[in-house]
Amino acid sequence: MTRAVLILTTLLILAIALAITFGAVPLDWNDPTARMILLRLRLPRVLLAAAIGATLAVAGVTFQTLLRNPLADPFILGVSGGAACGAAVATALRWNRVPGLVPIVAFAGALLATAAVFALARRRDHTDPVRLLISGLVLNAFFSAVILISFALSPQSDLTAALKWMMGTLFGATWTSVALVASLLAVAMIVLAFVANDLRLLVFGEEDAKARGVDVERVKLIGFGVASIVTGAAVAVSGIIGFVGLLVPHLIRLIWRRDFRLLLPLCALGGATLVVLSDLLSRVIVRTTELPIGAFTALLGVPFFLSLLRRAS
Amino acid sequence: MLVLRNVSYAYGDVAAVRDVTLTVGDRQLVALAGPNGSGKSTLLKLIARVFTPQRGEVLFEDKRLAEWQSKEYARRVGYLPQDPDPIFPMRAIEVVVSGRAPYLGRFAWESERDWEEASRALALCDATHLADRYLDEMSGGERKRVFLARVLAGTPSLILLDEPFSALDISHVQQFSELLREVVDRTGCTVLFAAHDLNWAAARSDRMLVMHRGTLALDATPRDVMRADVMETLFGFQAETVVAGGRSWVVPKT
Repeated sequence: MTRAVLILTTLLILAIALAITFGAVPLDWNDPTARMILLRLRLPRVLLAAAIGATLAVAGVTFQTLLRNPLADPFILGVSGGAACGAAVATALRWNRVPGLVPIVAFAGALLATAAVFALARRRDHTDPVRLLISGLVLNAFFSAVILISFALSPQSDLTAALKWMMGTLFGATWTSVALVASLLAVAMIVLAFVANDLRLLVFGEEDAKARGVDVERVKLIGFGVASIVTGAAVAVSGIIGFVGLLVPHLIRLIWRRDFRLLLPLCALGGATLVVLSDLLSRVIVRTTELPIGAFTALLGVPFFLSLLRRAS
Repeated sequence: MLVLRNVSYAYGDVAAVRDVTLTVGDRQLVALAGPNGSGKSTLLKLIARVFTPQRGEVLFEDKRLAEWQSKEYARRVGYLPQDPDPIFPMRAIEVVVSGRAPYLGRFAWESERDWEEASRALALCDATHLADRYLDEMSGGERKRVFLARVLAGTPSLILLDEPFSALDISHVQQFSELLREVVDRTGCTVLFAAHDLNWAAARSDRMLVMHRGTLALDATPRDVMRADVMETLFGFQAETVVAGGRSWVVPKT
């Protein structure tokens, strides 16, 4: 246990060191401009990458455990669709002219989507995981429709920024966003640790957990609520960064095969490392532009995952 | 130990358990028999606190179920659903030690004592050799043993098993049936298990409860249940009784 945490912490520190060192401008402490770039731009960006990665992986493992579904990711219940829909509508209404308004609308969209999915899935004081999944699927389809229409109505000049956001980007990271995401993540980890002993029993099924004295509906409400709020915040700040929430829990499980209580911190560290490295690659591979970070989370994660899978079988 | 008074439960409009009254004492192996859909599983779930009776009441050790603190109750009463399946790969010993969950504090990890109880439970189920194997690499019979050990690890005084013989071949059913007898005799707990295979429900049991369309139709010794007339009225088939090894077995008439 401690070994796993140590290994992953070391990896994360190495990744952060690499990500701070490399970038468009070489690191030079004696140069005031370089120093400013480092403190105002690169450092918050690297730390935001870590916070977002940790958030998505933690939300991912929580969703997979609660839904008892290995294919679940943080976006499966419509959180990303709701956020993207909010952002797209805000862009179409030209609200992007007001700084900071689009992320707020996106966050509101994410929360509304989650509330809607729950309202649809809840019947007689019971939230059925299958109904949750179907409601999420249907709402995501509805959001796609709204997004397409919003884009068609948006001014051409705003579309590039909107598209970049949808592909996920950490461009424009500020210390405020770092503080926001990191503090939400910290609260989420504490709350999830609080229900972790109950949550891990859910992999055996709800009835089994109930018979073991777990207040299943309460645990689900807390788990889904927390995971959805942090995912909504992450998406509002950095757009839709795929694969982290799905892949990292599986990666960790393939290496350490442990229950939820251990997976939680390990996923946080693993997710942070993957996104920090992906962000680094997305900024340095092509000098003239930034490539979508979501592409690198997959490009880095998939081969690693496949090799582990081959070894495991 | 366990008292049910006029307990009823319905899924929507469909009544599953109707007006069941019964008492179960200490140190007994009790089979809950009945055709498919007769309410066996629902009855077990009502005792396990998975469902709450819509009418009537369940008392355990003279206290109403609602008065029991849920973790405290889970320490006394162990329930094994029909086919529990952790969706992610787990080793047998981890599955078994999770049966200690009702004893753990909120942020606590399993203690030495919990791991000891888990090993003891595995040994009792003759499954020590399976400890480090992964569940998804096991046969149906091995899995059943591991899950029974998981329930035993919680050292309950009442054990509820839903179809413990399902998907087992005849030699494994026989072994498992002996194992349940041993569990009762060695730990002194009461085991109440649902089984639709009558012969094996009866084989080693002290007592049989027969459910029929949601009601408790018969509460008797195996000898008094395994009779041709009972088979015809409660199970709807024509049978003959064969006595072998001091026990009655029913065989369908052909």
